[in-house]
Amino acid sequence: MQFFLQQCLIGITNGALVALVALGYTMVYGIIRLINFAHGDLIMLGACLALTLVTASGLAGTGTSATWLGIVLLVAACGLFCGGLNVAVDRVVYRPLRSAPKLAPLVSAIGVSFIFMNVGLFWLGPADRSFPELLPTTNLLGGEGLQFTAKDLLVLVVVVPLMAALSLLVRCTRLGKAMRAVSQDPTAAALVGVDVDRVIAFTFFVGGFLGGAASVIYGLYINTISFQMGFQNGLYAFTAAVLGGIGSIPGAVVGGLVIGLVRALSSAYAGERWTGAIVFAILIVILVFRPEGLLGRSTREKV
Amino acid sequence: MMPLLEVRDLEAGYGPIRALDGVSLDVAEGELVAIIGANGAGKTTLLMAISGVVPVRAGVIRFADRPLAGLAPHEIMRLGIGHAPEGRRIFPRLTVRENLELGGFTQTDRRRLEQDIAEACGLFPVLGDRLGQMGGTLSGGEQQMLAIGRALVGRPRLLLLDEPSLGLAPLIVAKVFEVIAALSARGIAVVLVEQNARAALKLAARGYVLETGRITLTGTGPELAADRRVRDAYLGEG
Repeated sequence: MQFFLQQCLIGITNGALVALVALGYTMVYGIIRLINFAHGDLIMLGACLALTLVTASGLAGTGTSATWLGIVLLVAACGLFCGGLNVAVDRVVYRPLRSAPKLAPLVSAIGVSFIFMNVGLFWLGPADRSFPELLPTTNLLGGEGLQFTAKDLLVLVVVVPLMAALSLLVRCTRLGKAMRAVSQDPTAAALVGVDVDRVIAFTFFVGGFLGGAASVIYGLYINTISFQMGFQNGLYAFTAAVLGGIGSIPGAVVGGLVIGLVRALSSAYAGERWTGAIVFAILIVILVFRPEGLLGRSTREKV
Repeated sequence: MMPLLEVRDLEAGYGPIRALDGVSLDVAEGELVAIIGANGAGKTTLLMAISGVVPVRAGVIRFADRPLAGLAPHEIMRLGIGHAPEGRRIFPRLTVRENLELGGFTQTDRRRLEQDIAEACGLFPVLGDRLGQMGGTLSGGEQQMLAIGRALVGRPRLLLLDEPSLGLAPLIVAKVFEVIAALSARGIAVVLVEQNARAALKLAARGYVLETGRITLTGTGPELAADRRVRDAYLGEG
């Protein structure tokens, strides 16, 4: 029983990380119906910056309040970096293709993904790089029972507030309302005075910011980064977004948690090598019965 | 007097199709102008070109003495042109209230926005009853009212209405047209694009007939309603 709970805890923590990345896919898809294949590699670049900053600042692992402050600054810096980079890519690559057939921006996104990967290769080198341990691995719950370390805590203290802030932003602010309007009908949104390109740029920024935060957590939690990490992590996160219902923000969170749990439980009970197969088998089964994803829209509107 | 809206020799279209082929028209401050024509004549393209959604290839559009060339749709809206587009295009997964709030997206004064929303609900009381409901769950007539209400919350000087009667029950059409007349009486200029030529010409001070991208006939509402060609082609009295 305790083993099972431990795996669930691991699954939830990993899933929260997947969800943070999945949000970047689902938000961009929601607003311009583009699967941003470069998102995973954007996060890899965020991790490069995080490693560079940690190394340069000499932030060391003791788990003191200075370390925590350093981590918050790191999240902010990498968030701004990935958000800004995402906006720049939208401006230079996707915006000129806005009225082109859907395949054009999609192929361009794949191209951006390769460009990012090569920048990462140049930045990190070809080998895996270890990310410094900034947090102690002592069990916060004490004793020999369930393991819950400062690293697990880190994931939750970063992810939960970010998701709460995102939810507030989208549901309660003027800009959030404009985002939802643009995702439903960009022309109608423009006709009521919404600057559609600015709203799209903002969406890219938010998705990129969350990805940048995820990159820092990834480094601190997984402790190994490489220029190839974007592909696989991006694929899982994209899968989570589709599983939850692409375009749906709560769907990305649920999808991320499901993927995290399935991965953890299948690694524990079926073996690591089956994880990928099981995750995608479940994805296929769910999509056969619910093509719109778990929380995707299935209601029909009157026309 | 300078017209509020002035369109000169306008050419516009999608891809290789030239939907408008040298259209000129004027709308004075507070005037209600009808544009009638068959399906595919270019009526919607004309309104979309005025709003900046469809690019202008040649010709000039001036609003309040200002050329609109090169302006994006949201900038044109901010100059005072409201647009209730064809097919209503309300936001189906936003509430009625959120739809109306978006109509006043450019209004930064919260109190005035609330006033404008209340005013729109005054014109269309059914909207006030359904503020919390999703736009997509409204009936066709209610959606049309919401589309017009949403445009009004933006405080337009000129309102472009594209087929507001399309697909609506006669009773609802009468209600919508009543409100359109009231708007015009309040000094809002209206361009009313309609297939329902009879109702539109009854309401309009002036009208234009658009045929395959050209204006073929123009006159006052009663003149056009009495014209042989209009009666034959659009009023079904041939």
